[in-house]
This record gives sequence, structure tokens and C-alpha cells, in this order.
Amino acid sequence: MKSLKRHLPWIIFVVALFWSLSLGRYAMGPVEVIKLLAARMGLEHFVGHQSPEMQLVFFNIRLPRILMSIAVGSGISLAGVVFQALFRNPLAAPDILGVTAGGCFGAALSIMLLTHLALGVQGSAFVFAIAAVSIAYVIANHSWDKSSSVLVISGVVVSAVFQAGLSMLMYFAEPYDQLAKIVFWTMGSFHIVSWAQVKTTLPLVVAGSCLLTVFGWRLNIMTQNEEDALSLGVDVNKWRLFYVVVSTLMVASSVAAVGSISWVGLIIPHIARYLVGADHKRLVPATAVLGGTFLLIMDTIARTISASEIPISIVTSIFGAPFLGYLLMSKKGGLSAGERAS
Amino acid sequence: MSVQVEKLTAGYGEEPVLMDVALAVREGCLCGLIGRNGSGKTTLMRCINAILKPLQGRVIVSGKEVNKLSRDKVARLISVVPQGSYSPFPFSSLDMILMGGTARLRSWQSPGDNEKDSAWKVCKDVGITALASTPFNHLSGGQKQLVMLARALYQDAPVMLLDEPNSHLDFCNQHRMMGLVHEIVKSKNKTALITLHDPNLALHYCDEVVMLKEGRVVVSGITEDVINGDYLEMALGENVKRDTTMSGLTVVVPKNVPAQR
Repeated sequence: MKSLKRHLPWIIFVVALFWSLSLGRYAMGPVEVIKLLAARMGLEHFVGHQSPEMQLVFFNIRLPRILMSIAVGSGISLAGVVFQALFRNPLAAPDILGVTAGGCFGAALSIMLLTHLALGVQGSAFVFAIAAVSIAYVIANHSWDKSSSVLVISGVVVSAVFQAGLSMLMYFAEPYDQLAKIVFWTMGSFHIVSWAQVKTTLPLVVAGSCLLTVFGWRLNIMTQNEEDALSLGVDVNKWRLFYVVVSTLMVASSVAAVGSISWVGLIIPHIARYLVGADHKRLVPATAVLGGTFLLIMDTIARTISASEIPISIVTSIFGAPFLGYLLMSKKGGLSAGERAS
Repeated sequence: MSVQVEKLTAGYGEEPVLMDVALAVREGCLCGLIGRNGSGKTTLMRCINAILKPLQGRVIVSGKEVNKLSRDKVARLISVVPQGSYSPFPFSSLDMILMGGTARLRSWQSPGDNEKDSAWKVCKDVGITALASTPFNHLSGGQKQLVMLARALYQDAPVMLLDEPNSHLDFCNQHRMMGLVHEIVKSKNKTALITLHDPNLALHYCDEVVMLKEGRVVVSGITEDVINGDYLEMALGENVKRDTTMSGLTVVVPKNVPAQR
């Protein structure tokens, strides 16, 4: 039973992958999916020739989008688990240091003013997402108090400034073209994903996931009171910077590619903690798999449930928020288990 | 000398909290730190543990100046039992104890079966094997402190700092904690500094005592010599004296309590 619970994320992942690969405007069964993949790997001789339209839909539209939703889901969920550990707060989310606000501002700025720049909407979003977190870090570093709570507050400050900037841009935006683009972008969507975005985001997420898995156990120490962590032999400031940089790169590249996505980074760590426990050595890989699976399922719903595309954040909130509510009520939930006093 | 503090002046802002503090604790000695609230006991602990940089003077532990060492080297010399602990996530008690081994692991390593075996042995020594798989936050204050003591033991450093480890414990658990600490110091030849609110615990368990008042050392030396009426009054205030119970036990009691019926 216990080993089933531990392997559950992987089982759900594989099932969801094939389910999603076969669903869409151009429906194909799991057998056809396997045939297509086999043909592409040079086994055409055994599985027979596949129709070109099917290949086009599958390899140029569906596969990159699915890979992207898995990468983004893993990336922001991992950032969630890292920030919850660093700030010792089960309610911390990946955007706590201003990465999302910075990214949205950068995207809006590019949609409105920097249209001629080679950077593009996604490049601009990435640069501003990184800039926001860097500013938060610099402000916190100039405080005499080097604790993580100061970093959280300066993240709130930076978020507020970029939010205000975004609001101002939206106020001046031309309503039918620019404003619509900005609003759709801030709600997140995978419909524009092509191999170009996968090539920039996927390697960052894979590298970040590997680093966080390798240095996963150390996150346990980071959840301890700062003086305790120092006494245990960890240079808290140095390692906090390491974890913030890795997580920020993953979230920034995700936000830059598909816009802001709410709830995933907050709830997935809780579900993973419920399944495998609090030890980050197991929690980090479980979070990566669950986050990828969750966003894959959500995006499949977003692209198939109606004739037109639904922004992904609406779907993640509709499914994610009630689930967190359920966790709060359940006795074994990820939140209460950590806080029940003796 | 295992722990040596030389002419230490330290503080947080303009006003130093500790002034010209000097003390020395030898190996195998359990040394109590006594003083009123705000006398600088915790600040002294933080200086010894190299968390607070002194304004003047230095701290030498096992022949090394702690402020010049990296955090993992300090952790191999000094382990700490904090006043109280809370974990925001549901770690098991064994998870908490295993964190004590951080300084012995490379940054990419995590505890394996060997580490778990030796952490289990420490649980046996402290008598908390029944708690090992219980979530840390489900434990009572006394049980939590025993787990934190086990973690410090598992860290296996020659010097232990205990910062008011009894502050959340009931009467019996205070004595259980002190008994365990005393036994560990003697059997493993450790050096321990412990801050205490109750001078009776120092009197019954500590080999030596250092009394602090307003950031200065009032007196330090063998417990029997140091805990007497004059010094107690200087460090803790006027309303305290040394007495002997009918069964012959030396105790520290208040001179008078209001409205004695």
C-alpha cells in the first residue's frame, strides 16, 4: 500500500500522457499514438506508413504543447516547494518574490511599446521577471536584518510596484488589440506554444529539476529556524541564494513562455507532501512529476472542453482552489499535519 | 581548555550587551550560566557559536578561533539545543535528528542506511525510540526537547551549547533533561554550557557555574563555592538565599514570599 502511494505520481503521469496525446480536435487512439512515435523513431517498416496530416498535428502542434505543459507544471511546482521551504511557510507560492508581476509587466511593455525590439514579448517578460526578483533580493540584502522574512516583504514591495506599472500600461492600452492581448497573456495560455519555446524552457526546467533533486535533502535544513540551520553547519544566506536563483530561472522561463499560471505552485507541493511526506529528498522529485501531470491534465481540459481555447489559469483555479479547500478540511491534509500542536 | 572566551565585548547596536567577558571551560565539564533576563546569557551563547560577531575579544573552541571558521567547521565543533522548536512541515522525529548529521555530509549527499542506524542508536541512548517515526509537531514540549537533545548528540561535536533547554518543561522533565545532559557529558567527555533560570538545577547538576549580571561576569568557579548567598544576591537580586532542607539537600529559595499562609 505504501509503495503504491509512492509510485502513484508516476502511474498517473503515464496514463495522463497517453490520454492527452490522443485527445484533441484531431482524435487518435493510444495505439495510433504509439504507432506515430514508433514510425518517427525509424520503425516505420513494422508499423506501416502514417498519414502526413496526422504527423503534422501530432509532432508540430500537440507534442510541443504537451511537453511545454509538463515542463511548466514541473517548474512552477518545484519553485513552490522551494519557496515554501525557504520561507518556512506552507502558503508561499512561486510568485512571492515578484517573478510573475515582473514577467507580466515585461510582456505588457513589449506588447505596447517595444514591439520593434528583437527581444519579443517572451524575451521581455523573462528579463523583467528576473529583474523583479533581483531588485527584491538587493533591497533585502541592504537591510541589517538578513532573515528570510525581510526578503518576503521586499518581494511584496517589488510585486506591488510592477503590478501598478502593469495597471498603468493596461489603462493606456488600445482596448481592442493591445488590451485584449495583455489580458489573455496575464491569464496564461499554451495555444501559442511551438518547438521554439520548448527549446528555451524545457532545458532550463530539466537542469533546474536535476539540481534541486541533487540538493534536495538540504532543503530540509532550510526549513529550520535560521539560527538552527547555521548551527547545523549550513551557510544559510549562500544556500538561500542558490535555491532562489534556480527556482527563479525556472519560473521566469515558464511565465515568459505561457503567461502567468495561478495555484499550481501552491497546491502541488501540498499534494506531494501528502503522498510522500515532508522529507525533501523524496518530495522534490514527487512534486516535479505531480506538477507536470497536473498542468498536462489542466491544459488538455483547457484545449478540449470547448470549441475555443480557455485561459489556463481559469482551469487551474477552478480545479485547484476547491482541492486546497478539501485539503484544509481533511485530517491528513498537508497543511494541518504540520501545524497540529500537542 | 575546551571553550575559552577572552575579553569579549558584543552587542546588537550602539550599546554592548556583553562587556569584557572572560571565561574558560575544561573538557568533561558541565558549566551552568546563571543570570536574570537580559543579563546576556543568550548573547554569550550566540558569540560562542559564531552567530554574532564580537565587537572586541575572541572565542576559542578546541584551539580554534570560531569566527574564522566556515559554518560546517563550527558545526563539527559545537552543537546546539535551542530553547524551543517548531517545524512548519510534518517531519518525523527521525528526520529531525538526521539533520544533525549535515556537517558530516557533502552538500549533495543525504543520510543513508548507516546514518539512520547511528541516529537510531542515539534515540536509544536518549530513550526516545518510541517517538522516532512520530511527526515532530505532534510531540509535547518535553518530548520535542528530548528530540532536539538527540539531534545535538547525533551531531557529535565536542562542545554542546544548551540555551534554556528547560524553559518549556515541567518539573519532572526538567530533572530528566538535566540528568541526561549530565550523564552524556560525563560518559562521552563532552564540554557543555547550559543557561538556566533555576539556580537549583545548576546547584544539583553543574560542575561549574558562571554568573552574569548586566553583561558582566559576577563570579565563576566550582558550583559549591560560587552558589552562596552573597553572589546569588549580586547576580539574581536581593530576594534569594541558600538553605538546607530537612533531608540535608542544599537549595536556593526566596528569602520571603508575600502572603504566606
